[in-house]
Amino acid sequence: MRTSHKLATLALGSAALLPVLGASTAFAADGNVSANLKPVALNGVNGSGMASVAVKGTTITVTMAANGLLAGSPHAAHIHFGADARHECPIASDDSNKDGHLNTTEGGPAYGPVVVSLTKTGDTSAASTLAVDRFDTAEGGKISYERGSIKVTQSVADAISAGKSVVVIHGVDYNNDGKYDGATKSDLAPNLPTEATDPALCGALSAMPAGGMQTGAGGASSGTSNEGMLALGGGLILVAAGSGGFSVRRNRARS
Amino acid sequence: MNSSTQRAGRHRNIVVVASVVLALIGAVVVLLGIHGAGGPPQPPANAGQSASALAAPTPAAAGTPMTPNPGASPSATANHTRGTDLGPILIASSPVAIAIPSIGVRTSNLVNLGLASDGSLQVPRDFSSVGWYTAGPSPGQLGPAILAGHVDSHNGPAIFYRLGALRPGARVTVGRKDGSTATFTVDRIQRFPKDHFPTALVYGSTNRAELRLITCGGSFDQKSGHYLDNVVAFAHLVAIPFN
Repeated sequence: MRTSHKLATLALGSAALLPVLGASTAFAADGNVSANLKPVALNGVNGSGMASVAVKGTTITVTMAANGLLAGSPHAAHIHFGADARHECPIASDDSNKDGHLNTTEGGPAYGPVVVSLTKTGDTSAASTLAVDRFDTAEGGKISYERGSIKVTQSVADAISAGKSVVVIHGVDYNNDGKYDGATKSDLAPNLPTEATDPALCGALSAMPAGGMQTGAGGASSGTSNEGMLALGGGLILVAAGSGGFSVRRNRARS
Repeated sequence: MNSSTQRAGRHRNIVVVASVVLALIGAVVVLLGIHGAGGPPQPPANAGQSASALAAPTPAAAGTPMTPNPGASPSATANHTRGTDLGPILIASSPVAIAIPSIGVRTSNLVNLGLASDGSLQVPRDFSSVGWYTAGPSPGQLGPAILAGHVDSHNGPAIFYRLGALRPGARVTVGRKDGSTATFTVDRIQRFPKDHFPTALVYGSTNRAELRLITCGGSFDQKSGHYLDNVVAFAHLVAIPFN
């Protein structure tokens, strides 16, 4: 009776473990990805940068640095992902309206919709896509951004770890007059000029190299064999000293 | 002296001679072991791991605006008044040469590296060449440019044999395809077990132009044919080249 009770407890226990195991496999998507940020085709930004994202479960940490942006103006920045997107930065042929620039909508087929808004404070969801008062204003044309504890859905976390997401920093000054202006309105918000929302810098997030690297063949190593020789030699000396000492003691006993 | 004492005396002599011979053999073996036990230099446990090394860029490094000006070395500007100080920054250009005078490295034998099928960083085929990870920044761009080389070949030292002897403050110059030279100064050098490699620390984004020099270190595992650790030198771009 008692034994069968124990068995039942054991079975229940293992059954209870199953969901835990299932949950742990979800963390298999943890990863580190990074992107070199380059000027978006046709939009003429003379800048660059780099972004990294660490994925742990459904929490991400983003670090990003960039330069060459319009100084002192808000630069919306996002992680984009779309299952149907190409998971890359837009190219010149994405300029569907043939106006010589790529706006955010035209970049859609390449990078998909916004999944994370890289705001400095507050909400980080797609709802903050155009929260211009919470994005970095690139003092001196430069951005140095770090934000952790950003919650995302499991599918977004998986997409980022799988190298399918794209970082885009928006905001271009086509006429080099030091501000967002111009007759063309934004495809995202008619109250903003297209300069304020057109993509400036872009980079597809791909996996960082995994683990260390095999940069040695051992030809000049200290090697385990040498340590073996040291031990052997030391051992021989000890044995010699032991037997020598023994014979000396015998000698003394005799005299 | 009766015959039994004589026998004991002979026996004693044999033991003494044997002990001396054993000791001599032991000494020779130890000497051989010591002779071969040099191995590549390793960074001391605390080499240059100053607390400031991971912090913000050096205030002395002034921001250089991005200019389409290939051929120019990074130059300091006096613009400290506004903006995030990311230090000097160069435009993208592939590395074509590297010199590390303090450890005798100088080569223009540079090769491109990508990722191997297991996701790890490829290594140069040639033991005398230095590999650049092309998916990362080029030396002088924002973020860490990755340069890797072997510590040894099957029969002797390779290009980065003395990387573990590099010390904070040492100079590294990287010649670039656009004719410019990116000059870095070493912040620190560390050794990491390959099975606990700090991926984000080595490869992740930084808020200035940095450089990583990577090779192998620690114990050599005869079974796998690989070293157990990696030695990584962390350096950052400086505006004004050393003399």
